[in-house]
Amino acid sequence: MITITEAAILETLRQVVDPELGCNIVDLGLIYSVTITEAKVSVVMTLTTPGCPMHESIRRGAENALLNVDGVKAAEVKVVWDPPWQPSMMTEFGRAATGVAIN
Amino acid sequence: MALPLAFILTGLLALCVGTGWLVLQPGLLATYHYNQNVIAVTHLFVLGWICSVVMGAMYQLVPVALETKLYSERLARWQFVLHLVGFIGMVWMFRAWNMKQVGHFGSVLALGVSLFVYNIARTLRSVPKWNVTATAVAAALFWISFTVTAGLSIAIAKCSYDSTEGLATADGVRTLTGGLRLVAGFMSRFDALSTMHAHAHLGGVGFFTMLIVGVSYKLIPMFTLSEVQSKARAAGSIFLLNISLAGSFATILLRSPWKLAMALLGVVALALYGWELVAILRARKRQTLDWGIKYFLTAIVLLFPVSALAVVLSWPRLPLNTFTGQLENVYGFLGLVGVVSLAIIGMLYKIVPFLVWFARYSRQIGRAQVPSLAELYYAWLQALGYWTFLSGLAVTCGAAVFSSEIGVRIGCSFVALGIATLAFNVAVMLAHLIRPKTKPLTLHTAPVPNPA
Repeated sequence: MITITEAAILETLRQVVDPELGCNIVDLGLIYSVTITEAKVSVVMTLTTPGCPMHESIRRGAENALLNVDGVKAAEVKVVWDPPWQPSMMTEFGRAATGVAIN
Repeated sequence: MALPLAFILTGLLALCVGTGWLVLQPGLLATYHYNQNVIAVTHLFVLGWICSVVMGAMYQLVPVALETKLYSERLARWQFVLHLVGFIGMVWMFRAWNMKQVGHFGSVLALGVSLFVYNIARTLRSVPKWNVTATAVAAALFWISFTVTAGLSIAIAKCSYDSTEGLATADGVRTLTGGLRLVAGFMSRFDALSTMHAHAHLGGVGFFTMLIVGVSYKLIPMFTLSEVQSKARAAGSIFLLNISLAGSFATILLRSPWKLAMALLGVVALALYGWELVAILRARKRQTLDWGIKYFLTAIVLLFPVSALAVVLSWPRLPLNTFTGQLENVYGFLGLVGVVSLAIIGMLYKIVPFLVWFARYSRQIGRAQVPSLAELYYAWLQALGYWTFLSGLAVTCGAAVFSSEIGVRIGCSFVALGIATLAFNVAVMLAHLIRPKTKPLTLHTAPVPNPA
């Protein structure tokens, strides 16, 4: 049996890029939690702006990417607005790539 | 996606033709504007370029900005056909100075506008959370309806109805010509130049400026990762702009000295808007401003000279001589080609990449590496276009003040070059629809489990 790790999931989600900001959703700090239950992966994430027109594309894109991970049979991605996204949630790479300031 | 793009491409084509017209006939800006060719080219810019793009963008942006769905795509498709027939016919007939046919094509355009107003108004009814942007959009719908009504009334007033005297026609036709005579009689109470200026202000300020102000309260925070800093200030700017416009319309129409007070009220409204915009930008989390936003913000900065000109031209008992006539030309040119067009180009650099990306790449995200929006066009072309467009504006305005045809031709050629960079970038973006640029994902592969 293939063991699915959170690191593998996050690495895969790095393939999903927010097209407006040009940075992947992991380094943007949009991923709130990853839950792995046997072959099913559930991800809770947010977006930088409520009402973002890319909302459904990014959510579905994340699901598509997860289904490509070895061993993942089912994937669920849920978008939440609480807590709201803050630039401080970004990684250093994300901040450098987007020019978003912490304060 | 196809419909907003059809409106936008129509608009771009009209912009290219309009700018080319000015390059070929620079005298249009170097002499006073009350003639058939100036009115024709102005309607080409206003209806063909600005209205086409604004209406197409509204079908796309209003649902996004107000988090709802467009009421009817079918009505929007019908409006596109009516708009196309209406504005092309109007420009053609203005040029031929056949006001009867202007009225006929104008009626076709008006039918399209009424479909547009109805469609967006029904969309507004489903807005979950009413806000300042929704108020501005609703106000803009009112003013565009008023503008079209005023425009048609002007056309009606310029027609003769003598040929209908002896017609033994059906009651319906009699009623119609009777109604047209009444409108013409009412309009004859006002000075022709004043009605034209009042009509122009309704469209330029009521529809275009109102939308620029209102929509930017949603889009600028969205693109710069910021928030509206004072809802009261934002609402105040929209309220005062409406009051100023209503007052300006009446005072321009009646040649009242109160015109200056109304212009100053408009300046206060725009100052409030500028204050709020600066506050939004200061609070932004995204420090780098892309060229699309730079174009838009430059358009807002150009509101300063346009407002200053509005105040000067509203001065009581200002003599109408060659110089002030040329200042009126500069006011109209800088307002429409400077403020409104530059703002639209800035927003186009946000809307077109989104439309193309959404149509071509939104289903491939997570399955392949897809380009970001900024990778769909050339930023260096945006920069080149920005500087050539601005240089062209400056040269054209300077030349128009001094009635220099050669100067206007040089300035408009620079503007045309700026527009060419936009057209090329749009073509580059559209090429993605035919030849998508994706790369395979570099997926994480789990190590082969040890059979032991």
